[in-house]
Amino acid sequence: MTDVLARRDRALTPEETEELLRDRLGDGVQRSVLEFGVFTVWIAQEAWVAAARACRDEPLLAYDLFDNAFGVDAREEGFDYVAILYSTSTGNRIVLRTRCEGGREAPVCPSMVEVYRGADWMERETWDMFGIDFPGHPSVSPRILTVENFEGWPLRKDFHLASRAAKPWPGVAEPKEMDDEGNIIEREKRIGDAPGPYELDKVMGEQAKLANPLPEPPAVTEEGEEVTATAQSADLASDSGKVLAGEQERGLEEEQKLRHDADVELAGDEAEREPTTGEQASDEANQGGSAIAAAEAAKKADDRRRTQAEARAKKAAERAAADESGDDPAGPDDPEGDA
Amino acid sequence: MGLMDQVELPQPVKYVFNWGRKYSLWCFNFGLACCAIEFIAASTSRHDFIRHGVIPFAHGPRQADLLVVSGTLTDKMAPAVKRLYEEMAEPKYVISFGSCANCGGPYWDSYSVTKGVDQIIPVDVYVPGCPPRPEALLDGIIALQHRIQNESLKDRIAGRRLDPVTLGADAPLALEGSSS
Ligand code: SF4
Repeated sequence: MTDVLARRDRALTPEETEELLRDRLGDGVQRSVLEFGVFTVWIAQEAWVAAARACRDEPLLAYDLFDNAFGVDAREEGFDYVAILYSTSTGNRIVLRTRCEGGREAPVCPSMVEVYRGADWMERETWDMFGIDFPGHPSVSPRILTVENFEGWPLRKDFHLASRAAKPWPGVAEPKEMDDEGNIIEREKRIGDAPGPYELDKVMGEQAKLANPLPEPPAVTEEGEEVTATAQSADLASDSGKVLAGEQERGLEEEQKLRHDADVELAGDEAEREPTTGEQASDEANQGGSAIAAAEAAKKADDRRRTQAEARAKKAAERAAADESGDDPAGPDDPEGDA
Repeated sequence: MGLMDQVELPQPVKYVFNWGRKYSLWCFNFGLACCAIEFIAASTSRHDFIRHGVIPFAHGPRQADLLVVSGTLTDKMAPAVKRLYEEMAEPKYVISFGSCANCGGPYWDSYSVTKGVDQIIPVDVYVPGCPPRPEALLDGIIALQHRIQNESLKDRIAGRRLDPVTLGADAPLALEGSSS
């Protein structure tokens, strides 16, 4: 065993780690990415095992736990193999990633088993799912996740699902294929794209458009805006733990009042929404009279909203005052505190 | 079995015999995925299928009368289900619990999921749902008990089975099985 000098407080930063690895492996380190707190180092295929060995044996790195490993289908560029290592002494995690040689036809990646025994079944699984071969592995077959006589590599993007051949996919092929307005985005086909779009996609796109009409910019006067802003900050405050803790003791009455408020707001919203759609329809049909009526209704709803917001702001102010005066909400001076 | 598969039992004997059988179903739970949780819920105190005479968690398939397949059956697991079913002693019954066990469910296009447990073993009652509520299992058990009550042991031993029941898709329970 090597000496483990690394400790949690002496853990290397990603930059230092990369520097150290570059020092040991030279060109074996291609590049590194720090994304979402995950430190990924791209390793050249020749340096793959050496990189694992360096990660395990360098006293400052001491990645002693083989955490996880899997393949990634990089479409036209072939396959990637990703290994995640963890250090129990520093608490660091590193992701080693390599592009397999052999393209899509016969991807191979040197086996890490001689460095980490735990890589054994991970590599078998990767072979099972992606067909990446691991020279140096004792034996990747027989298959461990699929049935022994399974044909093909199911996690490759170009793997054909037999059921899909018999029955087309009933939904939208890919979630990304519609923009905000429900129009299907056309883009070039890549390996492994689901077939489609189907007729059904277009129908669903139309439905999505109807169900989510584009929101109108709210027509609020400056004064009203101010009031709404205060009300919003009051709402935020009521979400914070302090106010909530006080509120628990306030009893049913307050709660009912809030619920009533919410109902009023909902009704207001509805009143606002209906005339807006009415407005659109009537604009298209050039019916001036109903447009005016709709505008009036919208204004009324707007007014109601504003009074609403004012009331809320007032209440929030009261609440804040009450909180300041009696800091301990569950205190004996609270008449409803023990109820 | 001798005469059993050639001679119909006298009606009163048959009635008492079937009545006894239908209220002592030792149940072997083949829990494979999320539906197994609903099965367990059905076996615990709130839904409590012991009051219907179903005794959960038989010691093994050899002691069980009823196999409940609850969950996603994969091709890799299918031989095990087949084998445990073969280990059960006749007369034996199978409830397919949940969409996955019925037809593959949400994994209808998967490369590794068996599209229904009825591809490997005969099923008596299908309980649809993803997952079905525990009440649905109780309903399935009652449907199965109707079948057992009306079953002719002669036919059963001779290997003739009734057509399977699908809950919610077939004739009302009262009519079920009365024709045979
Ligand atoms: S039918 Fe639904 S709930 Fe039941 S096992 Fe399948 S996926 Fe899970």
